[in-house]
Amino acid sequence: MTDTLGRLRAAFDDAGVTGWLHAVDIDSGAQVDAGADQPVCTASVHKLCLLVALHEHAAEGRLDLTEQIECPPAGRTPGPTGLAAMLDPVRLSLRDAAFLMMSVSDNTAADLLLRRVGLDAVNRTTSRLGLTRTRAVHGFGEMLATMREDAGPAGARALTDPHVITRLRALDPARSNRSTPRDMTRLLGAVWRDEACPPEQGAAMRRILGLQVWPHRLASGFPFDDVHVAGKTGTLPTLRNEVGVVEYPDGGRYAVAVFTRTAHTAATLPAADAVIGTAARIAVDALRAP
Amino acid sequence: MRHLECFVAVAEESHFGRAAARLGIAQPPLSQRIQRLERELGVRLFERTSRQVTITEAGTLLLAEARELLGRSEAFLATARRIRDGETGLLRAALSPDISGETVAALLAGFRRRSGLELELHELSTAQQLAGFASHNLDVGLIHHPCDVAGLELGPILRRDLGVLLPRGTAQAGLAEVPLASLTGYDLVLFPRDTAPAVYDDLLTACARGGYTPAAVRHGQGASFVRGLVLSAGAVALVPRDTQLAATGAPDPDLVWRPLAGAPLARRTSVAWPKGRGDAAVGAFAEAATHALRTTAGAWAETAARPLHLRPASEFWL
Repeated sequence: MTDTLGRLRAAFDDAGVTGWLHAVDIDSGAQVDAGADQPVCTASVHKLCLLVALHEHAAEGRLDLTEQIECPPAGRTPGPTGLAAMLDPVRLSLRDAAFLMMSVSDNTAADLLLRRVGLDAVNRTTSRLGLTRTRAVHGFGEMLATMREDAGPAGARALTDPHVITRLRALDPARSNRSTPRDMTRLLGAVWRDEACPPEQGAAMRRILGLQVWPHRLASGFPFDDVHVAGKTGTLPTLRNEVGVVEYPDGGRYAVAVFTRTAHTAATLPAADAVIGTAARIAVDALRAP
Repeated sequence: MRHLECFVAVAEESHFGRAAARLGIAQPPLSQRIQRLERELGVRLFERTSRQVTITEAGTLLLAEARELLGRSEAFLATARRIRDGETGLLRAALSPDISGETVAALLAGFRRRSGLELELHELSTAQQLAGFASHNLDVGLIHHPCDVAGLELGPILRRDLGVLLPRGTAQAGLAEVPLASLTGYDLVLFPRDTAPAVYDDLLTACARGGYTPAAVRHGQGASFVRGLVLSAGAVALVPRDTQLAATGAPDPDLVWRPLAGAPLARRTSVAWPKGRGDAAVGAFAEAATHALRTTAGAWAETAARPLHLRPASEFWL
């Protein structure tokens, strides 16, 4: 275990990041803890909590996942993917909005669902599952609005200025949506063991989590056709996160949560994305070692 | 102040038990303090149910100011500690090893003009300074960027353009400005990566983008070691004009420093101190250091930010 922690630290150092990781064997409970209780900003990882709250509502019969919602072009939460990037009116089901929210981190889809379910319901869900360190304090559009305010008139390009980084409220776990690596693996374990929701909703959530398109983080650590990777990323200036589940053909399944902060303020840092996969692999290899 | 700390802790944790654990006190005295604060202010700060605590609208309105007051009180206590610890007060400051003697002298003189406090100056790498801030052993320092700035406040970020240090007889030494790509074939002498990994990586990435990928990187920092490698081992060093080897005061008979064409590389430096712990003495140090770098090291503040093309995987958009 000491060796695993040493290798994790070396991998994070090598990529120029500070990293916190928790990995758990979903069936045996064996774990790797490298700063698992560090309070972290979840960013788009919090969409996972919203996904679970939505399916909990469906399981309780409070909504129907095939219910249609309207998404007019005006007033959409900004984002570079999905509904957030589309120009024309859209009508779609709640479950398809959930698919967009998780597969391409669609901010508009996330806020549509959040409006339907409510922020309090998301916090009730995480509390019910025993995630005592996890809390949503605002929606995704509100979080982006604090960044716009803190960045000032120069807009997005100010986000590489270290002065701006020091004052972004969105990067302060005390003032933004937050969790810990341990809370996130606990949530994933509950989803994979059908403890968060009944099997029907559990299967729907696992399907959606397996459809995430990004190959550059968690999935990059497992370059094997017979290994299934499902996850959700989260990104803000200097923050790169992903939480997910890695499943091996022998039945081994591992919940992994990796949260990182880069020293560099640049938006494009491939090594910082890849180390999330590298670190997850080190942890999963340690859990699989005989 | 203790009451305000309790208020902020409960607001941030949304839970009396967790807030009490964070403050290192038991839960009943924490609840009493919150009640006393609410009575004193005549404002209800939290809604309590059997299961959870949520901050009220009024509490939210007061939270930002409470944080600010706590920050001010930390700065106040830091000043008091300095006055108590030294006869006239002491500011514990640090500089990275690459700052030239001339800049250090100008900084010390400038600080003396601005403040009556005694300055305890250390030579520390950026990584060591960040650790010093975290352990409360350092009040202020001059750090290199990029580095992890979480929890810090910064002075203006200044850039010093890097040039190349070459043997006097080489073809490039005859040029007024050396194209980066023309250094192909030379090894590079660079500081060890672990003293500032992000700065190290940033420099190599910028070299590669400019057409120079050294076949080998040799690690060295001391002036005589670097000089030896450049003179006899087919290597070059990339340093600001004000470093010891490049200084114009006593020209090196064997080495020359030349600017790089288009100024593609820079070392970025700023004063930094822990958030909320800045006071008049820290301000005096920041002004003196910034002024010294501008006047003695040719440092300048970059104004035009580079274009930023966020890619879809960035997930955020403004």
